[in-house]
Amino acid sequence: MNQFHKIIKNTIFTVSVLIAFFCLSLWVETVFQTYSLIPAIFALAVFLISLITDGYVYGIFSSLLSVLALNFAFTFPYFKFNFSIPENMVSAIIMLIITIISSTLTTKIRQTEKMQAETAKEKMRANLLRAVSHDLRSPLTTIYGSSSVILAQYDDLSKEQLLQLVKGMKEDSQWLIGMVENLLSVTKIDSGSVKLIKTSTVLEELIDAVLVRLKKRYPQQQIKVEIPDDFISIPMDAVLIEQVIVNILENAVQHAEGMTELILRVREKNGIAVFEILDDGCGISKDRIQDIFTGYFEKKEAPADSQKSSMGIGLSVCASIIKAHDGKISAENRPSGGCCFRFELKMEEESDE
Amino acid sequence: MSSKYKILIVEDDTNISNFVKTILSTNGYQALAAKNGKNGEMMFHSHCPDLLILDLGLPDTDGIDFIKMVRETSDMPIIVLSARTGERDKVEALDFGANDYVTKPFGTDELLARVRVALRNNRQGNGDKAGMNQFTMKDLFIDYDERKVTLEETEVKLTQTEYNIVQLLSIYAGRVLTYSEIIKKIWGYSDSGSIKKLQVNMANIRKKLGEKPGENQYIANELGVGYRMIAPEER
Repeated sequence: MNQFHKIIKNTIFTVSVLIAFFCLSLWVETVFQTYSLIPAIFALAVFLISLITDGYVYGIFSSLLSVLALNFAFTFPYFKFNFSIPENMVSAIIMLIITIISSTLTTKIRQTEKMQAETAKEKMRANLLRAVSHDLRSPLTTIYGSSSVILAQYDDLSKEQLLQLVKGMKEDSQWLIGMVENLLSVTKIDSGSVKLIKTSTVLEELIDAVLVRLKKRYPQQQIKVEIPDDFISIPMDAVLIEQVIVNILENAVQHAEGMTELILRVREKNGIAVFEILDDGCGISKDRIQDIFTGYFEKKEAPADSQKSSMGIGLSVCASIIKAHDGKISAENRPSGGCCFRFELKMEEESDE
Repeated sequence: MSSKYKILIVEDDTNISNFVKTILSTNGYQALAAKNGKNGEMMFHSHCPDLLILDLGLPDTDGIDFIKMVRETSDMPIIVLSARTGERDKVEALDFGANDYVTKPFGTDELLARVRVALRNNRQGNGDKAGMNQFTMKDLFIDYDERKVTLEETEVKLTQTEYNIVQLLSIYAGRVLTYSEIIKKIWGYSDSGSIKKLQVNMANIRKKLGEKPGENQYIANELGVGYRMIAPEER
């Protein structure tokens, strides 16, 4: 369908340029009473067409048409085709050469641009892949190693040892689950052409889903919830936004040392829902806060213990999810200590559906 | 022990199938496993299980088709195993007659709770209100004859629609009802504003029952799928 659309667009452009320049030539001819300008005008038309349209077809087609038009209307004998005059043939050949050269050039430029964009994307993907594979290794080592030990030495292990090993396996697989869920979110967005499907989501239900999920992993953690009493519904991909809030809360639970209070606050401001996750922990160092949402991709010295670095990807995922929702996300240290993550979503969808 | 419930697992992944089988058999159920749809269909016909646990992503059969096949002859409870990302798959499976779903990856408790609830619902005639005239769950008490809901001995004032929703959910307690299923049963028709209408009613019900986000006691919300009254069997 898209291809078809493109062909129509290109054809219309080609035809209208040709007609316009043909008329221009007729006008020039009557005003200046000379034919010497006409080939230059047609050369310009052909050049324009091969510059704007995709591929060679339209350019070549229009240069052939131009040659015919020149031959027919503007060279002796007028309004009659005559292919026996050598200068007509020469002008035709020159026209064709112009077309081919300009088409080649524009195609090349476009290819380079596309390639540059692809390379940037590819590079990010490669970085992500490298970082993730690095992070996946240690939990897998635990799971693989522990299960091998259990299988090989079942009879020699004490009950405590056995439980310890299995507990480690469970913890690390839980970590893996979180990682995989984040990766799934990224691929959902990165597959690009697929638009996010936003559905009206009741704020209260979203928060409920978040808290239920977090409770499963951190049963001890208390979270103070401050949301408006009114019925609020926000268009979003609920699974992805749930992931964002869970990631940020998890980040606080794991990294905000000395935290005594974790607050999840949502308020409404001029048709925008503002989500804030506040903690009173140790805050974020200045050099880290700069690239906290992108740091994962450029991380140079990857720490050997992956558990600590794991949330880097979580925050990067948050940023790309919010970006895909046309929202804003930011992180800052609070004057009173601890930090505040904030993201904003529009409450109304602009005349979609 | 011939009184054991027979549970058929249709799942192509050997490891998952093994661990589900282990969970079930150590908890007093008789577990049978099939590796693909064809095999599953055969075992379904020859063993007449009491419950079916079905993986939606089978190599040879579409999970939905399998549900349809079962529903042609039987209304035994079906629990679907689904991947987290597929809200749509869940809704579709529920709408075609699955009773419940468990999202992969899942733990022992979660699976067992769903199995217990599904078997109980089936004992009660799968959502048939006949023979039931009340519902009790913790401090919540519903009297179907009087159309009255009480919470900790005090009456909860619900509108007609709100009561209808609560009653519907309680009859199917433990089972997820999709938005469209609830709308169809409460209003009889659905239009573009129906979901919103349902969501607003649910918000009011939650408020009246004193539910707090993250600590819902009575009605669980399954984001993007539907609602579920928590069954007395669950903890």
